[in-house]
Amino acid sequence: MIQVSRRTMLMSTGALVLAAVMAGPSGALAADKVLKIGQLGVMSGPEASWGLVNKFSALATAEMWNEKGGIEIGGDKYKIEIVSVDDRNDPKLTVSGAERLTGEGIKYIIGPNMDTTATSVRPIAEKNKALYFPYAFARSLYTAPAENAVLGMVASYQVAPVMYKILKEERGVKKIAFIARNDSDGLLQREEGVKVAEALGLEIVSKDDTYESSITDFFPVVGNVVAKNPDLIVMSSVAPAHAPQIMRAAREMGYTGLFGAESAQDMKIINEVAGEMGSGLISIGGASTPEIRSPYMEEFIDRYTKIAGEWNDEAGTKAYALEMILGTLQKAGPAAIDDIEVFKAAIPEFEMKNPFLKEDAVVKYVGTADFGQKRQIGVPMVITETKDGELTTLSIGSVE
Amino acid sequence: MTQILVNGMLLSANYALIALGITLIFSIMNVLNFAHGQMFMIGGFVVYYAVVVWGLPFPLGLLGAAVIVGVIGMVVESVFFRRVMKNSSREENTMLLAVGTALLLENVALSLFGEKQRGIPPIISGVYRLGDAFLPANRLLVLGISLALIAAVLLFVNYSRTGRAMRALAQDRTATLLMGVDVPRISTLGFGLGAALAGIAGALLISISGVNAGIGTAISTKAFIMIMIGGAGVMSGALLGAVTLGFAEALGYAFFPGSVTYLIIFIGLILFLLFRPQGIMGKPWG
Amino acid sequence: MAAVLDATADTAPNRGTTEMRRFLMTAVPLAIALYGVIPLVVGGQPYWLNVLTNACLLSFGSLGVWLTFSIGRVNIAQGAFALIGGYTTGVLTTMLGLSFWIALPLSGIVAATIGILIGWPLLRLRGIYFAMVTLSLTEAARLAFVNAGSVGHGVLNIPNPPGINSPLAFYLFAATMLLAGFVAIWRLNVSRIGWVFRSMRQNEELASSIGIDIARFRVLAFAICCFMGGIAGGCFASLQQNIYPQTYTVADSINFMLYCFLGGLEFVLGPIVGTFALVIAFELLRSIQEYQALVYGILMIVVMLFLPNGLLSLRGLISRRAGGAK
Repeated sequence: MIQVSRRTMLMSTGALVLAAVMAGPSGALAADKVLKIGQLGVMSGPEASWGLVNKFSALATAEMWNEKGGIEIGGDKYKIEIVSVDDRNDPKLTVSGAERLTGEGIKYIIGPNMDTTATSVRPIAEKNKALYFPYAFARSLYTAPAENAVLGMVASYQVAPVMYKILKEERGVKKIAFIARNDSDGLLQREEGVKVAEALGLEIVSKDDTYESSITDFFPVVGNVVAKNPDLIVMSSVAPAHAPQIMRAAREMGYTGLFGAESAQDMKIINEVAGEMGSGLISIGGASTPEIRSPYMEEFIDRYTKIAGEWNDEAGTKAYALEMILGTLQKAGPAAIDDIEVFKAAIPEFEMKNPFLKEDAVVKYVGTADFGQKRQIGVPMVITETKDGELTTLSIGSVE
Repeated sequence: MTQILVNGMLLSANYALIALGITLIFSIMNVLNFAHGQMFMIGGFVVYYAVVVWGLPFPLGLLGAAVIVGVIGMVVESVFFRRVMKNSSREENTMLLAVGTALLLENVALSLFGEKQRGIPPIISGVYRLGDAFLPANRLLVLGISLALIAAVLLFVNYSRTGRAMRALAQDRTATLLMGVDVPRISTLGFGLGAALAGIAGALLISISGVNAGIGTAISTKAFIMIMIGGAGVMSGALLGAVTLGFAEALGYAFFPGSVTYLIIFIGLILFLLFRPQGIMGKPWG
Repeated sequence: MAAVLDATADTAPNRGTTEMRRFLMTAVPLAIALYGVIPLVVGGQPYWLNVLTNACLLSFGSLGVWLTFSIGRVNIAQGAFALIGGYTTGVLTTMLGLSFWIALPLSGIVAATIGILIGWPLLRLRGIYFAMVTLSLTEAARLAFVNAGSVGHGVLNIPNPPGINSPLAFYLFAATMLLAGFVAIWRLNVSRIGWVFRSMRQNEELASSIGIDIARFRVLAFAICCFMGGIAGGCFASLQQNIYPQTYTVADSINFMLYCFLGGLEFVLGPIVGTFALVIAFELLRSIQEYQALVYGILMIVVMLFLPNGLLSLRGLISRRAGGAK
């Protein structure tokens, strides 16, 4: 009796696996050709918004194209299908997710979102010959010999020199303080920021204050920083959830200076949490400030809002990934769909009109200055400032 | 220095509500409510929807949070815990169930409320000065409400009939049963009250620091630290633990680099437990 | 108490063969499933091989946690020791250029040593106190590594185990580790030490009163648990080729504990069944991506409510329902 039940237990595990395999994702046998693009990111837990914004942005773009009949590559029209995998910010799941996506023949993957997960994907991508578009800033991902990753947005260490310089020259900032999240991303960004500040000759009044990502009350930490009287408080690797809380706490303590964030923030949350104390935040945006948007961007925002339920300013920067992939595939030809080498060959010369900006601008692959090779999407570096509940554009630049 | 003391006081009051709630549940049911942080989070979301989405006044939102989370606590106790406590062969099974409840509540919240961070504007604006320390009016209000609630809970537990029944249950379940007390009803009420306290804490704190669907585990961890310091199952222990943690954070962030503050708190906690494993006020285990 | 006396006095040859038979009844089907069924069914699918590799290594770690359950402690610190093991492997292979086959056992030993140092005093705590302290340990480990200088930014480019570089090879390696771990824990469980552990779980004071050095045995169990955690962490570090302070969070420690529970704490096979069931269930739920986490949480509660003694207690329930004499 005993052995039958135990064996049954083990056999049923095997049967479960068998059933899963048979019920697994089948190839699309639609009449239209289908282009499958993968999306791998953190979509549950505290950092869920990072990955969900990727997913909703990709879905919005895909829908917009599919309504027009799909994307034309080499004379054929392809319907775009986004295959999403949640890695819960766990590198083990990122690896199996990547295997799953590449196992379906997908060669282009948007994501992952963090250093830990993106570096875990690297061996899989290189082994299975796939190209991934992470939103993590670790330089090792984009510098040779690594060449299968393309950074999807502007890196914090690229923003810092431009941002601090503008603030020093145009707003008279002399004293700078840093407050960082206590994990590898936050501390790394702070160190990069400190280097930039030193190079610009700014006086660093505080650079040891950090907070746990599980923090509930910013008062003690912020109090330290405010007491040292900076003109600019840089929030290294701050999550959109925390920035307004830091701002509010600082303002409640009488801080009258500016705030800086080298990652995209969300105006709605800032308004909800900080209210009138939400002004004076200098951060990086995509094309979501009203005065520089193109009609295509307006349509994207509409579509995104329908899919996600509400707009998220983070999508301003994440809107570019899928458009760039599609544009490059069009240029490189249908062979690139299954062969990333053809895609990679098209990267150096590729450029297309920036669909999201009102003005006539091109977007191309950049990154030579920081990585020695073009492994970054040239998302325009739009530096924004929050003023009375709205985002206003401070400057538009680009990365080399 | 005044600011540090003010910060410590504010943090302690916030934490005290959380500690009281989890202690109440533990003392009555002998169950460590792993889902305490998630209940805190739901309380915050109730207030968010009440105040920001539906435009109701804050006191109504606060009441709603207490009631809704309290009901959730009572349902969890009567549907989940009572069943498992009857059928299981090991006492750890209830702890496992608590963990499962936590996961369930968190995932339900993520599905219902979405993943975005939510906050509400300050209930009252303005900042007071105390010496050279800043004291935002909003925080003072939260401090006041917290202290009032703590006093109310202590009075209830010590002087009301139901409260005394709960204390009796905490001391000796069998004897209480023999005395004719409706033990299942008191257990459910106790769990509900503990949960409601967590919900109120979340409702109050959303006006200070906001809430998102994922903060449950972090809050629960803080609750555990507090009852480890103060001693589980004892109200005074809960309060002592809250005060200790609140001031430790305030002092720690002021005098140590931020990245080591919590490391020092943990090391201090572990060393403290080596000498006094049951916490300051706890009864020796066994 | 009686169990301990039995263990020391009973030398009947019959017991030996029944034990062997029971062991083979479990180990052989397990080996068949791991080496035969799985490669046959999913040998050509790197995705499922990867999922099952994770399941094997996580089971290995959960077996360690099971051992601490057997002395009556709820251990929510396995993530910390996986982190320590992972960092040891990472640092030894990248900075000291040691071979993986040397670094891996060292990872286990380092984790076990730290486990002994921390565990000796902490194992005096029991019940929820011990659980809460171990929960704090996971966080404390993460913070310690964040502040550990350059490795706080993560260790990258950890090489794969030499000679192992295909999904099938990873899987077979992990499956072998799992089987080895299973055999070791089984043998430990039926040995005299295992009986001592069980008597301690039932009543520590009583065990101590008949002369068992409970402090030493407690630390032994905990050290073995940490050793297994360290090894699992080292293997993962080599497979993912990186390790960061936040690679193992409180959630991972809780998972190790949950897998044991859901499988069934009375059986050595429990952690393995629990891990495989949960890991596979999570992957199978991918098709309902929106509600994946929610359904996963609901499933877990359902199992806890209806099978509070674990999945493997199903066997007992079935035999009772079928009228078996039990």
